[in-house]
Amino acid sequence: MNEPVAEQACLDQAPSGLTPSEFADLYTSHSRAIYYLALRFLGDPQKAEDATHDVFLKAFRKMDQFRGEASWRTWLYRIAINHCRNLQQAWHERHLFSNADDAVWESAAVPDDSPLRVLETRELGERIQKALDGLPAEYRLLLLLVADEELSYEQVGVLTEQSADAVRGKLHRARKAFTVLFRKSA
Amino acid sequence: MKRQTKLDSAEQQQHAAGQQTQQQSALEFAAAEELLRYDAEHTAVPGSIAQRLQESTGSLPPPARSWWRRLFRRGNP
Repeated sequence: MNEPVAEQACLDQAPSGLTPSEFADLYTSHSRAIYYLALRFLGDPQKAEDATHDVFLKAFRKMDQFRGEASWRTWLYRIAINHCRNLQQAWHERHLFSNADDAVWESAAVPDDSPLRVLETRELGERIQKALDGLPAEYRLLLLLVADEELSYEQVGVLTEQSADAVRGKLHRARKAFTVLFRKSA
Repeated sequence: MKRQTKLDSAEQQQHAAGQQTQQQSALEFAAAEELLRYDAEHTAVPGSIAQRLQESTGSLPPPARSWWRRLFRRGNP
């Protein structure tokens, strides 16, 4: 990822504002992260495509609201999370849906440091999606954000409105829940 | 156009990465986020997003500069 390059380009922008070329740099640097979050959070490639388009369009329109307190990546994630949550809320209002009980994986006999083995990568995306779909939305989002190496626990905490310690605590349970569901999906 | 070229280039790189997804087997990941990271790296972003975005932003004025940057520049010429 070349986020620093894109950020520097934006910092050095001409007085008239962010140029189309700089906006393209921003897209190049962050589109994969935003698309992946939308894809795995929403679980639908078409919805993810629409969401990614809408997130960058919102960013383009609201560029003057970027205050530089956060990184571009964090700012884009915030827009994406709000957008995906709104989409999910609308969907949930139409379809009654409940996540599996936390107790199911809390009591599962899976060691905390148990590695995930993958013998066949052909169906990997589907297995990952199945496992994520079985998680509470909060755990799903937490795992997806922590998977981005550009984000610290503090930044994940800001994005999910909790402390870094709370992120660490929930991450432990989210990992275990994911492991249980991922193994079931084999 | 420069923007189109850049977006197309990004699309090609991401497509090439996606082609490698199916080739490996017997992988082991220490934690869920490692598996997700692997999956993200091998997920291609559809090129149609960049095309749609270019169409959507084409008719809009260039994004304005952030107000705090304008303020900062004014105080620090």
